[in-house]
Amino acid sequence: MVKRQLAERALMKALSTSGDFAELFFEDRLNNSITLQGGKVEVANTGRLHGVGVRVFKGTRSVYAYTNDFEEAGLLACAAQAASALKESERTGAPVIRLIGSVAANLHPVERLPGDVAGAWRVDRLRAADAVMKSVSSEITQTICRYADSDQRVVIANSDGLFIGDRRVYTRVTLSAVASDGTENQSGVSSPGAMGGAEFVERLDVEAHARKAANMAATMLHARQCPAGVSPVVIDGGFGGVIFHEACGHSLEATSVARGLSEFSGRIGQKIASDIVTAIDDGTMPGEWGSINIDDEGTPTNRLVLIENGVLRGYMIDRLNARRMGNASVTGSSRREGYTYAPTSRMRNTFIAPGSDDNDEMIRTMGDGLYAKTMGGGSVNPTTGEFNFAVMEGYLVKDGRIAEPVRGASLIGRGSEILLKIDRVGREMTMAQGVCGSVSGSVPTNVGQPMIRVSSLTVGGR
Amino acid sequence: MPVRSNVKVPDAMDAFIDKLLAAAKAGGIEQAEAYMRRTESFQSFVENGEVSEYGVNSSGGLALRGMVGGKMGIAYTEAFDDDAAEMLVSGVLESASLIEDPDEQFLFEGSPSYAELDTLAKTPGGGTVDEKIKYACDLEKLALSLDPLVTKLGYQNGVESTHTQVRIVGSNGLNLRREADGIGAVVMPVARRGERASDATGLRLARDLSDLPMEEMAREAVAEAVYMLDASPCASGSYEIIFRHDAMSVLLMTFQGVFSAENAQKGLSLLQGKVGETIAAPIVTLLDDPHREGGANTRSFDDEGVATYPKNVIDGGRLGTLLHNLKTAKKDGVSSTGNAAKAGYAAPVRVAPTNFYFKPGGDDLDALCERVGEGLVITDLAGVHAGANDISGDFSLLSKGYRVRGGRKAEPVEQITVAGNFFDMLKNIKAIGSDLTFPFGGTGSPSVWVGALSVAGK
Repeated sequence: MVKRQLAERALMKALSTSGDFAELFFEDRLNNSITLQGGKVEVANTGRLHGVGVRVFKGTRSVYAYTNDFEEAGLLACAAQAASALKESERTGAPVIRLIGSVAANLHPVERLPGDVAGAWRVDRLRAADAVMKSVSSEITQTICRYADSDQRVVIANSDGLFIGDRRVYTRVTLSAVASDGTENQSGVSSPGAMGGAEFVERLDVEAHARKAANMAATMLHARQCPAGVSPVVIDGGFGGVIFHEACGHSLEATSVARGLSEFSGRIGQKIASDIVTAIDDGTMPGEWGSINIDDEGTPTNRLVLIENGVLRGYMIDRLNARRMGNASVTGSSRREGYTYAPTSRMRNTFIAPGSDDNDEMIRTMGDGLYAKTMGGGSVNPTTGEFNFAVMEGYLVKDGRIAEPVRGASLIGRGSEILLKIDRVGREMTMAQGVCGSVSGSVPTNVGQPMIRVSSLTVGGR
Repeated sequence: MPVRSNVKVPDAMDAFIDKLLAAAKAGGIEQAEAYMRRTESFQSFVENGEVSEYGVNSSGGLALRGMVGGKMGIAYTEAFDDDAAEMLVSGVLESASLIEDPDEQFLFEGSPSYAELDTLAKTPGGGTVDEKIKYACDLEKLALSLDPLVTKLGYQNGVESTHTQVRIVGSNGLNLRREADGIGAVVMPVARRGERASDATGLRLARDLSDLPMEEMAREAVAEAVYMLDASPCASGSYEIIFRHDAMSVLLMTFQGVFSAENAQKGLSLLQGKVGETIAAPIVTLLDDPHREGGANTRSFDDEGVATYPKNVIDGGRLGTLLHNLKTAKKDGVSSTGNAAKAGYAAPVRVAPTNFYFKPGGDDLDALCERVGEGLVITDLAGVHAGANDISGDFSLLSKGYRVRGGRKAEPVEQITVAGNFFDMLKNIKAIGSDLTFPFGGTGSPSVWVGALSVAGK
């Protein structure tokens, strides 16, 4: 994709002023996307993203510039532009950079690349899902089925001599159903994905995901509004893990920790969660949606323990924030959506580890409360720890029994408080796929957990 | 079109477009259209009086749409090497062969005339790099000097500017170009007292640096961060709610998709079939004005090349029109409203408002509070991408604000949710304020008293 000698020249140009570290991120990415609406192909497109980002550090200062131009003149001009931002002290004699080439070890082998699969094959898979969704209920009035894959090739080079290539293939199917009775609409969705190619969809139980989405929409159409109040809440596994992602995960990213903005800054070794909570961020899980080989700074990925039996053990740390944190070690989790973003510390596959509690027992002994079967998305303010997320499919629990479905519930609180209120952690951990948006763009992440119980949480509703 | 002489589309791109349209014709594409968008951007975020993050960028891409046998294919690229034209043509052919959308599609030949609109900064980039860095440093310094409880700022504080160019060239003679400048400043003061932390965001948008009110944005944000340090949840129950202009803008932005004819035709909007009917209180008028002076989305043509014009989407409570592109208009037997929009150069053509806002009324926020007597003013909403559903209209959102007692601002409130339904809320609107702002770009609002909503607190 790019010649080593050219990368060397660009890095030297980037360090021609007072920078002390320079990095290049070359990206060439093919995207395919097909959408069926109501069973008919409405969107089918293919495209190619292509660009390079140049990053220069001076101490804890960072400059980022990017361009679509891989040609020598364009790249060197971009590097010079980045260097000129640090123009106040000119260097005498630029450093000599020698790059040593390597290729990232592939932890996530792909059997069928996106380019090897015909569009018609993708359409057939979606059509099967569409038929299942429509068959669930006559109240399903609209269906949207999407198949998206991408094949991203990157080369990352830096002034420490790194010159490494990597290839990341992602595939995801998104199935949405809308149920309507003419005056009200409710929706349901299931969107499985993997770091892998078309073999993921071949092996996927597409029909089960279709049924899940359609059942959710049909059930919620007949649900009453969730009453507002404070109560115990049981959150199911899979996408329920978004609770940890929002309530705690973002606040453990160096992006907010390094500047002392996070509520968990400076608290390594302290108890921040209930004793039964152990939380992991793991980039190495084979074929998982949030997995990587190397991060977007070229560091091999790893498995990082964030919380162990309630005690804070680690943060997710990227190169720039490592400097701000007194030369802390990087954790192989610096990520970016693409070349238009500078990378920073982000989550990968983030989950609460399995515990020892029984799912039935935690509902049976909760009294009155809410069972959140399927969570929607959420967000957090890492500075204050205030989080919120939506319950897509929820049920009232009355006297330890799951009762009627309720819609429109949301859960709010502060991360530091909810972690201490987790009083049950189930035995079987499952994960679900999400797209996490933050300062370095949208990246694929898994959330996960066993079923858990929170002793008391504010439930928004009406 | 106003075109500033010192920035222009590279000639090489015009040459590429010519080559591409010729290749499309040779490849069997009956009609083709090249859509190009390029953005030059600059960011300067500061920390402790120095630039901590600095960005200077230039990127863009081109999408080719083409008609083959009555079906529209699409492909896009950011690489303009020798393979690019061939890849685009074969991508369009494959895409068109898969499309089954029964709706008629076509490429536009051009409107009779286009409005002359000023969308450029007075000085290139809205100011020089040095001026922007100085502004960012001064803003940080000011925000840190206003209150002893504010000793830190949040993650990004500084200035960002963009210059965007759009070019549409069709095989049928369409040949359009537009450009726009935008600049924004942001400051995020964090107030701390003991263990408690509270933050607020000051954000302003304009075309020129000189139009960004540093003093006002810093003072407002610092005052809000400090004020909210004492906030706590109020009791759960039903409250008369005023959404302050910025919170109301967020809510309108969240639900603006319900006014899209595309969503309506697909059964994704409850406004399907409601044109001409009363859907809001009589005092409600909702405008889409692509010609608004200084608007973030001011434009003379939309992303299909159709001339834009101002319109009342809600007119005195009645749904005046949905927003259309060419395809949705044809299906409903009306004309395009000039609201075709691509979220990015590579995205399919959908529908979006331009400068979209509730027509302001006569009362300022204090007067609205006086009229409400007892209630809540909501100043901040979080998690709208999760806690609001534009298909059902339901929302249940983490909120901050303050209690109104005896018609006056009383204690600050946080860690509550406000829940309701957007469609019901439109009908219950009691009063619309005079304080119209556009805090995040094209969509804006004055403060609005929306009647009673359900609050979960303590």
